[in-house]
Amino acid sequence: MSDRHGSDRTLEARLENAFAESPVFADADVFALRVHDALERNWLVRRLVIGALGLAGGLIGVVQLLRSGLVDHLGAVGGAWRLVNNDLTGLPVARIFSELFGAGPSTGAEVLWMSGAMAIIALGLFVTRAIREF
Amino acid sequence: MTQTPVFLGLAARASAHDMDLVSLSVGGDRNAFGELVRRHGSRVRALLRRMGADPAMADDLAQDAFLAAFEQIAEFRGEGAFAGWVGRIAARLYIRRWRREARMPLGAEATDEDTDPRMRETGANTRIDLDQALKGLSKVERLCVSLCYGAGLSHAEAAAALNAPLGTVKSHVKRGLDKLKGALVAEPSPSAQERAYNE
Repeated sequence: MSDRHGSDRTLEARLENAFAESPVFADADVFALRVHDALERNWLVRRLVIGALGLAGGLIGVVQLLRSGLVDHLGAVGGAWRLVNNDLTGLPVARIFSELFGAGPSTGAEVLWMSGAMAIIALGLFVTRAIREF
Repeated sequence: MTQTPVFLGLAARASAHDMDLVSLSVGGDRNAFGELVRRHGSRVRALLRRMGADPAMADDLAQDAFLAAFEQIAEFRGEGAFAGWVGRIAARLYIRRWRREARMPLGAEATDEDTDPRMRETGANTRIDLDQALKGLSKVERLCVSLCYGAGLSHAEAAAALNAPLGTVKSHVKRGLDKLKGALVAEPSPSAQERAYNE
């Protein structure tokens, strides 16, 4: 601290030492435990809030997807793909696509099955995480 | 800094260096941070009491300071002591509360009315006991002296934190030092300090 001058240097140094040399309080461990508990509480609240927000966001997303008619659109795309595939089976490119992607994009029912499987996996991850945390 | 293991057992934590515990805390290890609290909690609480907080308020603010420190732990680079860093956070929390409660306008001239009468009678042969000596200061002087010598703020930083003119802070510090000069003449009395904290 450059703004401290003069003959009080010794006193200032001793004062800084005196401030730094605090005795340990008799209830130091109790205080540490209190802070630790508060930290754990904050952590728990934060996890619950994030989890709740994630759940709410996920639900909103699923509802929006269903309301947008995505499943119907995918079904229509699947049907169109099959029509194109039937007409172009002789072309090498179409054959390659057919081998790579099978019969084309999934139908509505397949999308629902996949969503269900992903939801189960997500639930499994959530449960294992919850068991680990709590 | 040494290579920090991902996890430390209880005994290893107790003997670990502060910076190792800080590194673990950055990774979210609350037990490592708990060890830092155990080590330095007393100093932060003592600083707040010396600034003028009553014991209950000092403990509340110290707890808030440590919680804030945990949130910002990644910002601690180890340039100074960990306790000093948390002490500055605690000091700013105390100042915020002190200003909110408008206990005393900072520009007010210090009077002897808010000092401990026993300290005004302190002779040159009195043993050093910082806490007793600080009681001889007015509340504002005590706050300014504690900020500059306990929390390690410069006069300018203290003035900014207190939202007060630099000259005002300097004069409070000067008056406080003058009063302390008479009290802090000999070696500290650990037993007296221990008694004061454990009462």
